[in-house]
Amino acid sequence: MIKANGLTKRYGGRTDRTGRAGKTVVDRLTFTVEPGAVTGFLGPNGAGKSTTMRMILGLDAPTAGHVTVAGRAYAGHPAPLHEVGALLEARAVHPGRTAHHHLMALAHTHGIPRSRVEHVLDLAGLTDVAGQRVKGFSLGMGQRLGIAAALLGDPATVILDEPVNGLDPEGVLWIRNLLKSLAADGHTVFVSSHLMSEMALTAERLIIIGRGRLLAETTVADFVRDSGVTAMKVVSPDARTLSGLLAGPGVEVTPGAGPDELDVRGADGPYIGRIAAAHSVPVYELTPRTASLEQAFMDLTRDEVEYQAGAITHEAPTGATA
Amino acid sequence: MSTVKTARVGVTPARVLRSEWHKFWTLRSTWIMLSTASVLILGTGLVMAIGHEPAGGGLGEVGDPVVLTLIGVQFGQILLPVLGVLFSAGEYSTGMIRASLCAVPRRLPVLWAKAAVFAAVTMAVSSVTVLTTFLLAQPFLSDTDMAASLTDPGIAGAVAGTAVALTLFGVLGLGLGALIRSVPGAIGAFFAGAVILPEVLSAVPSNAVQDAVAYFPARAGESLGAVQQHDGALSDGPALVALCLWALMTLLAAGRLLKRRDV
Repeated sequence: MIKANGLTKRYGGRTDRTGRAGKTVVDRLTFTVEPGAVTGFLGPNGAGKSTTMRMILGLDAPTAGHVTVAGRAYAGHPAPLHEVGALLEARAVHPGRTAHHHLMALAHTHGIPRSRVEHVLDLAGLTDVAGQRVKGFSLGMGQRLGIAAALLGDPATVILDEPVNGLDPEGVLWIRNLLKSLAADGHTVFVSSHLMSEMALTAERLIIIGRGRLLAETTVADFVRDSGVTAMKVVSPDARTLSGLLAGPGVEVTPGAGPDELDVRGADGPYIGRIAAAHSVPVYELTPRTASLEQAFMDLTRDEVEYQAGAITHEAPTGATA
Repeated sequence: MSTVKTARVGVTPARVLRSEWHKFWTLRSTWIMLSTASVLILGTGLVMAIGHEPAGGGLGEVGDPVVLTLIGVQFGQILLPVLGVLFSAGEYSTGMIRASLCAVPRRLPVLWAKAAVFAAVTMAVSSVTVLTTFLLAQPFLSDTDMAASLTDPGIAGAVAGTAVALTLFGVLGLGLGALIRSVPGAIGAFFAGAVILPEVLSAVPSNAVQDAVAYFPARAGESLGAVQQHDGALSDGPALVALCLWALMTLLAAGRLLKRRDV
């Protein structure tokens, strides 16, 4: 269980010597991450996710507010690696050390046996490269080593900052299953991402922030419902018939990209499937539009995006005329 | 997932020491720096001994058997501080410090353990190297004015002083690395502050400045490693205290900042 209360991080003080206001990266965040579920920590780049995670781990000191893990500040735990395992955004490994020695060095601080180091290396699929220096690791192997380090102490709470970054599809699937199994075992799992579509597949609960402020603390199911994203892509050889059957109050049917394709809003998969079956209309594809889920997330965070691409204008630069 | 039932007592000073010991020996730079320093000290000492003119009074004559045979410690006085910087500041440049401080969030034990492991190892390596060099060089000097035995007055103290000075130089480098958190920055600060600054200051025509210069690490180290003191140099006691204070104050400043700063 992670509890943040009024957590704030401001750089440069209230106003620095030049009179500019300090930059508030995390702004009075209050949230709770419960055990037994994967909680997604979502926000655009620069929203303050990594800073929040560093404050949870005591690497950055909050300007105001406080955060506890399992009822105590992180640094107050006598055996922190058994309480919390963390993967941070940047690599936290000396590239000159082998994967095995890196984990052994961390294990020694808690008296964790060599067998456990070998177990997490195996879990992360790194046994074959355990004797190689981290210098030669790909981004994905580096992430796997970071996750092995996070699991080293068999912690009750796992905090992962953008864990799927740089992983191949197999690695992404591995992370999803790992996170779900950890949550099913009763662990507290807190995972940051800037991709709603990834979180929709992994997380049950969501904490969404923008510019350091809490925008929503919800569940994926509620988010999907509230965002009104019920668009389904339907492919049927008899699209015209199906269109007529589905259209009605609250259900909007529009032609999709292909000739046999429909975009259906206001009806979910089971509903469309039942209607089609009842009228013996074959359906080749029935897919929720996850792009729309991403859209809903972007709508929510639009005003809070730190680095927004400006509209391209074609005005002549002033003063540049000869 | 299997649970780690054994040894849940958590972080202890002994475990942090064990961890730093493991970190120290699992980097190539450690082996390269320590062996290079030893080989250079030994090699230079033997060359100096073999090439020594028995008549004495030649150009560049050093009137001190310990300084003569251990002239190579100057390599060590560069290599060991650099190794110290790599051991401490290297954690920041690689990001390893975040993993280290997540494991030991009270932070200070990491710095103390690092300094203890580094000091113990460099003291052992320096002592063995310096003593071996002196003993191997002496047979070549037996019939010269530089013939000396460890039992002669001041000799054993100067040999030991050389090893202690080397160790404290290394610890100073480690402290600077932890303080400045950048490998090039700390190496630059070491050379500017410990090596170049006293040379520049010694050109200042002021007695007070001249007296102060004797307390700088390089000069204090020279005093510790010499049998005969130059004019204006410190005697062994004050030189040892001065060198210890440089290393200790740097470490304490680094500890104070480590406790306060974000990582």
